[in-house]
Formats: sequence, C-alpha cells, structure tokens
Amino acid sequence: MTSYLNISGLKKDFGTFTALHDVDLDIQKGEFVTFLGPSGSGKTTTLMIIAGFEKATKGRLTIEGESISDLAPQDRNIGIVFQNYALFPHKTALDNVYFPLQMRKVKKTEGRRKAQEMLELVGLKGFEHRHPKEMSGGQQQRVALARALVFEPDLLLLDEPLGALDKNLRESMQIEIKRIQKTLGVTTIFVTHDQTEAMSMSDRIVVFSNGKIEQAGAPLEIYHKPGTRFVADFIGESNLITATITNVATRSAESALLGVMTYGDGAVDTLSGGQEVTLVLRPEHIKLSREPIAGCFSSTMTIETIVNFGDSALVIGHRDGTALRVRVPGADVVILKEGDDCYLNWTEDNVYLVTE
Amino acid sequence: MNQTMKIIGVLVVLFIIAPLVIVVPMSLSTSPSLQFPPPGYWFGYYVQYFQDPSWLRPMWNSIVIALANTVLTMLLVVPATFALVRHKFWGKSLANIMMLMPMAVPHIVMAIGYYNYFGQMGIVFSKLGVVLAHTSLSVPITFLVLSANLKGFDQTLERAARSLGATPAQTFRHVTLPILKPGLMVSALFAFIQSFDETVVAIFISGRDAETLPRKMFDSIRQEADPVIAVISSLLFLIVFAALFAPLALRGIKRLSGRATSPSTTRS
Amino acid sequence: MTASIRDKQNLTPWLLLLPLAAYLLIFFFVPLAQVAIMSVTEPQPGLGNYERVLTSPLYRKVFINTFSTALLVTVCCLLVGYPLAYLMAHTTKKRAMLILMLITMSFWTSFLVRTYSWMVLLGRNGPVAWIFLQFGWDEPPQMLFTRFASTLAMVHILAPYMIMNIYSVMQKIDPSLVRSAESMGARGRSLFRHVYLPLTAPGIANGSVLVFVICLGFYVTPVLLGSPREQMAAGLIGRQIEEFLAFGPGSAMAIVLLVITLVILAIYHRRFGLDKLYG
Repeated sequence: MTSYLNISGLKKDFGTFTALHDVDLDIQKGEFVTFLGPSGSGKTTTLMIIAGFEKATKGRLTIEGESISDLAPQDRNIGIVFQNYALFPHKTALDNVYFPLQMRKVKKTEGRRKAQEMLELVGLKGFEHRHPKEMSGGQQQRVALARALVFEPDLLLLDEPLGALDKNLRESMQIEIKRIQKTLGVTTIFVTHDQTEAMSMSDRIVVFSNGKIEQAGAPLEIYHKPGTRFVADFIGESNLITATITNVATRSAESALLGVMTYGDGAVDTLSGGQEVTLVLRPEHIKLSREPIAGCFSSTMTIETIVNFGDSALVIGHRDGTALRVRVPGADVVILKEGDDCYLNWTEDNVYLVTE
Repeated sequence: MNQTMKIIGVLVVLFIIAPLVIVVPMSLSTSPSLQFPPPGYWFGYYVQYFQDPSWLRPMWNSIVIALANTVLTMLLVVPATFALVRHKFWGKSLANIMMLMPMAVPHIVMAIGYYNYFGQMGIVFSKLGVVLAHTSLSVPITFLVLSANLKGFDQTLERAARSLGATPAQTFRHVTLPILKPGLMVSALFAFIQSFDETVVAIFISGRDAETLPRKMFDSIRQEADPVIAVISSLLFLIVFAALFAPLALRGIKRLSGRATSPSTTRS
Repeated sequence: MTASIRDKQNLTPWLLLLPLAAYLLIFFFVPLAQVAIMSVTEPQPGLGNYERVLTSPLYRKVFINTFSTALLVTVCCLLVGYPLAYLMAHTTKKRAMLILMLITMSFWTSFLVRTYSWMVLLGRNGPVAWIFLQFGWDEPPQMLFTRFASTLAMVHILAPYMIMNIYSVMQKIDPSLVRSAESMGARGRSLFRHVYLPLTAPGIANGSVLVFVICLGFYVTPVLLGSPREQMAAGLIGRQIEEFLAFGPGSAMAIVLLVITLVILAIYHRRFGLDKLYG
C-alpha cells in the first residue's frame, strides 16, 4: 500500500532542548493510528507539527507525495479535535460546525445543511441551536468532532480528547469515535498517554519516548512482541528480567533473578554470547503453584501483596529483593496467602527478548 | 458576628452613602441657598439647568471630548495590549511601566505640563488639547481592564479557527473580536468615564471654548452657591446609581414576569 | 493573532506597540519633561526654585501639611474601612454584594460630585448645622473651608479604595487557616493579632499606599473645601501657576511632589510588586 502521510527525518529543537530526534513514520490512507507515550515524549509536538502550529527544525511532511511543511495551518485541510474541545462559545453548535465551511466560502444554505447532517451523524440531532455552555462535556466533544470532520479533511487529529471524561463516558466515546471514523474512512491520528485506550481503538500504535519512536505496529504485535524495554514496560504489565546470553544457538541466558532461562522470540536477531539483554515475562503468563509444574521452567518466590480485582488478582512477590508480578484468575487466588512461598511456572515461548 | 461590629458596619455604610444621597432632595429644594430642611420641593432648578446654555454647552463639550478620547484611546491601547499580553520581547517590562506612568503622576503636574506644552503648540484652551491630554491619562486604566480580559482569553480557540481554514485576519474577525467584545466595551466605558469626570487638567487647559462640565462645576462651586450645581450633581450620581442597580431591577422584573407567563425551557 | 512564544526577532509586537509608545512620548513624556526643565530654567537657569521650595517656611508648611493630612486620611480610611471589609467578608453573600454595590456606587461618583455633596452637608444652612441647632446651639460651628472638612471629605472619597482592597484580600483568605489556628488554641484578640491581621496585611499595605499617594496629589477637594490658610501641595502649585504665573517655583514644587510619589510607589513595588496595586 502506498503511504498517505509520510513523516521523514523530523527533528524539533526548542533552544537547547531537543524535543524530537529523527522521527520517521508512514501512515496509510484510512488508518487509525495512535501516538502513545508519557508526557514529554514528543507525541503532542509531532501532532502540532503535522497540524502546522509548530515548525520542525528539520524534516519533511508529505500527504500523498505533496509537501505540506510550508503550508500555514489554515491551508492544510486537517481537522483537529483539541483537548479542551475549543468550541466557539459565542456560536451555536450548528454555527460551530458550519464555521469551516463558512471559511471555505460554501453557500449558507448548503453549508448549514451539511453541518446539520454532521451533527446527526455524531448523534446530536436537536442540539443545533445550543451554545457550548449549555452542553455537557460529552456533547461538546461530539460537536468538536463534527466540526473537525464536516469539511472532509485529509487527516483527522485528536489531541488527548477523552481525558476530561469519566470512565463510562470515555469508553462509549471511544466506540463512537471509532464508528464515525470507520464510516467516513478518514485517516486519523489519536494522541493519548492511556495505553488501554490505544490498545482498544487503534489499527496501529506508535510508541513515543524521549522524542523518538520506540516502535510502531498493530496493538497485539506491540503487546506480544515489544521492540524495546521501554515498550515492554509501558504497554501492559511486564516482569523485566536482566540476563546475559550464554548460548545463542540454544537460546539460553543466565539471569541473576531466575537462573538459567530459555527465551522464545526476540526483538533482535543478531545476538552474541555475553550480551546483556532484557527478558520480558508478562504476569498473565506465569502460573503459581505449591509444587513445580512438569514441562515448565520454575522458580520460587515469597508472596508479599495480593491485590484482588474481583475477576483477577495481582500477586506481587519478592525474590532476592526484586519484585515480580503475577496475574491469577479470581477464583484461583483464594488459596494463596500473603507470606506464603510458592512456585512460579512458565514456558519458554512466553519469554520474549529485548535488547534496548 | 457581634453587635458592635454590625453597628460599626451600618454606620460606615451610612457614612459612605449619606453624602451622595443628600444631594438629590437638595436639588429639588425651592431654596436657592441649600437650606436644610428644604422649605419646599419643585423641579424648577432642573428646568433651569436644561435651559441654561452656560451649563448645556460644557455638558455637550464633555460628552464630545469623552467620546473622542475613548475612540483615540482604544485605537492606541488595543494593539498595544495585544503586544504586551501575547508577545515576549526585549523592553517589555519597561513598556509596561511606561503605560502605567500616567496613573502614577499627580494630575496637577500634568496640568502644568499641558498648559505650557499646548500653549507652545497653540492648542491650549481647545477641545483638541483636552482630548490629547485626556487620552494619555486614560491609557493606564483602559490597558489594565483590557489586558485582564485578554489574559483570560483561551488561545486554543484561535488555533481551532486556524485549523478549520481561517486566515489570521478571519480568525480575528470571527473569533477573537466577538469573544473580546464585552472586555472591549468595559474598557471603553472606563476610558469614557475617566475623561468625562477628569477635573484638574481640564481646569487648566479647557478655557472658555472647550469648557468641560467638571471645569464649569468647579468654577461654579468656587464662585457662588448655585443650586443648579445640585441638579447636575444629582444627575451624575443618579446615572451611576441606575447603571449599577438597573440590571438587578431588570432581572427581578424578568423573573417576576417569567413566572407569570410560560414555564422556563429545560436545560440538560 | 497567535504568536509562537519565542519571537525575539519578530517585529509584530513592536509595530503593535508603536502608535501608543509614540503617542505617550509626544503627549505625555515630553510635556512632563518640560515641567522638569522649567523647574530649572524659569525664571533663571539654576536650582534657585528648588532652594526656595525646599527651604522657604511657606513651602515647608505646605509640605508638612500635605504629608500629615495624607497620613491622617490614610489612617482614618483604615479605621473606617477595615471593620466594614471584615463585616462584608463575614456576612451573607447577598448582604456583602449589596454593600459592595453601594461602595462601588460611591467609587464611581466623581470626586467633584462627592466634594460638592460635602459642601451641601457641611454648609451653614445644611443638615449637619441643622442638627447642631436641634441640640440647642445658637450658632453652628464653621465647618466648611476648614482642614476638618477637607480631611473628612477626602476620607469619604478615598475610603472605597481602601475597602475594596482589603475586602478582596479578605475574601481570598482560606477559612480553614483560621479554623486550624483556633483548634491550636488561638482565641479572640490573639487570633486576630497573630493570624488574621497578618493575612490581611497585603490588603492593608495596598490600600494604604494607594490612598496615601492619591491624597498627596489631591487638588479638587482641599481647594474647594479646605482652609485657604492651610493649603496642600497641589493647591499651592495650582495657585502659583494660575494666579502668579510662577512657572519656575510651581514646576519645582510639582517635580518634588512627583518624585516623592514615585519614590513611595517604587518602594512599594520593591516590596510587594506594583501589579497588585492597580489590579
């Protein structure tokens, strides 16, 4: 598939501070991509550069091959939903949504009709003549979305739009946004620091850290095959075990924590003996038992804390001063007590290797 | 909240209010010498005021000068406020201080300055001179009010407008200006009042032709106990009173009539 | 009109500021500078005017009078304003609103109108005189054109500045601060002295500086209501110019008044920050 939005060699300096180092990314048409990362990772800066509110120090931005780097924000035909919605308080919902069409000199009757249709699409029929202060957060969100989509933009950018909403509303809006995006087929970039949100909504996740892209891939790919230590740590929960490669052929490594370990897949192909690596073992891939389970690798630990969520529980234990986390189904946790010693069991295909 | 506190409070409020209020009944008094209690009440002095050109002309002058002052002040202050609130630049704090200086200088000092300066330019005792002087003096308060407004302005709204296809000029016209309108109107009002009430400089540089209302009042008070002064004082006070309490009264009336007619629309 | 934060090279702010800056330069700073120049050139070049202003007994008397009056007015405004502000901060919202509106009403009525209303009140045939008559006095005391009348009227005119300043500070005081002090044993007078008063100090400082500085340069009220024998600085300056066309001494006095005002404001700015004064 040919790339739709291409970002290459993007660099951004704020004085002596480098916010982005060499960001490269290709986004396909119609894709729903999430920029995920902690605050200060560069995801919002990248978004602002795409939108045209910041100018990159170096690098190129093209849509369908045509450069947009020198275009002013108003000429980029990109729809943006801001974190605080940024609805014009002095205009009604209808006039807000009509605004971009008004700027494009669309005739009033035609434009207002389109705005009306858009409001219906986002589920706000009947709200046309309300002002923003007469609407709830969720409703304002939808108006912002309608406004950003009514002029059929080349790209839709959403800057952490769901942060201010409560959990239930957030989840229903996630579904709404996804539905609308699929209906219209608009290429979308969604910025968030919430990884569950990223996991549930995206076609692809782009993980940012310290101004660089750590990894870009489908949610499950990123989850099961993290490219770096950071991604393994940021996405989902992980036990990160430092180890040294003992035998590349037999995929063995020696770890201080769990002894000799065999790993399955890895993020890197070329390894050498003696290399320091990190082995990733997710909490849900460890089984706890009183006796070691046959056919698995085993080790022991002392249970320190059990956090019971109802459907599952997180068992946190210590071994040699290092914390280990294990996910246990809710029903199974009743037999475990804090202070107990138990066995950890895992199979090698659940041990994933990352180097960085 | 003990009793003595309450009593002191009431006394202080009375102290603040009584002098203002007393002028109104005195303006309706038939006595020409501000006798208390008034021997009788009539509107005679009001009629006299509105038929006396020596009072009407200064009043008209003051209105015209205040309007011109407001326009000129706003034209100068609005762009400057944008510069000082939205931009960082070398000399910014110095510019800030310069803008507030007219507020720190006693008006008598400026009165001398303008008397001499405009005398040299040949515009002393003219409306133009007064407008030029008043504009300088109106700058600080207008700036303070407007900058407070501008500081509270959400700039993401302007970013949103740009992202939706508006040029900077269109953004200013369709988004910035309408939202800023109340703030602009309040600061314009402050500029108007500042000029309309300004006394000291006007005493020295308004002369006969450009005589302002405060100047006329000052001269009259100094010269004779003209009961017509009570009329204009009452009028000026009543305008302030109405401006402050009318919105309340209107809201009260609306509420009463609203209950009597239709049920209010529901808001979700 | 958004601008990126770092636009040191950008011309826009300069262009926006230019009209106002040029205007103030031509129509404010130049005339002001001329006053300073006149003070050392009229009628002859030299510091003669300043010598006269700073040493002559007449001028000395006026300065002392001005200062002491300003001080007296400030103290009275505090005595009158602090209790009222306290009341406003500790009563129902509706009542506080009402009082605030009444204060604002006075605040927005021009100095001139308020001065005149005191002339009405304190006149020989006025209400206060009438009250004296009711109490059996044959001849009510002369109240107008005295230092007493002028001072009283100035307190009345400037009290709103003090009240609003103190009230706005009081409003922002976190009630839990006072409660926690009470729970630690502070009561009544000591609670007030050691907790509440210091918390309201910025408002007191703010209001006092404002009132004092305005009072120093006050023209209208002392001239109309005050005793001609006990003039204040602004009135004397005005007379020098108006009656004697003595631009030299008049300007010198004006500059002295200005310098004192600016010094006070500068000291205040050092300590508290000037932006709070007029905000």
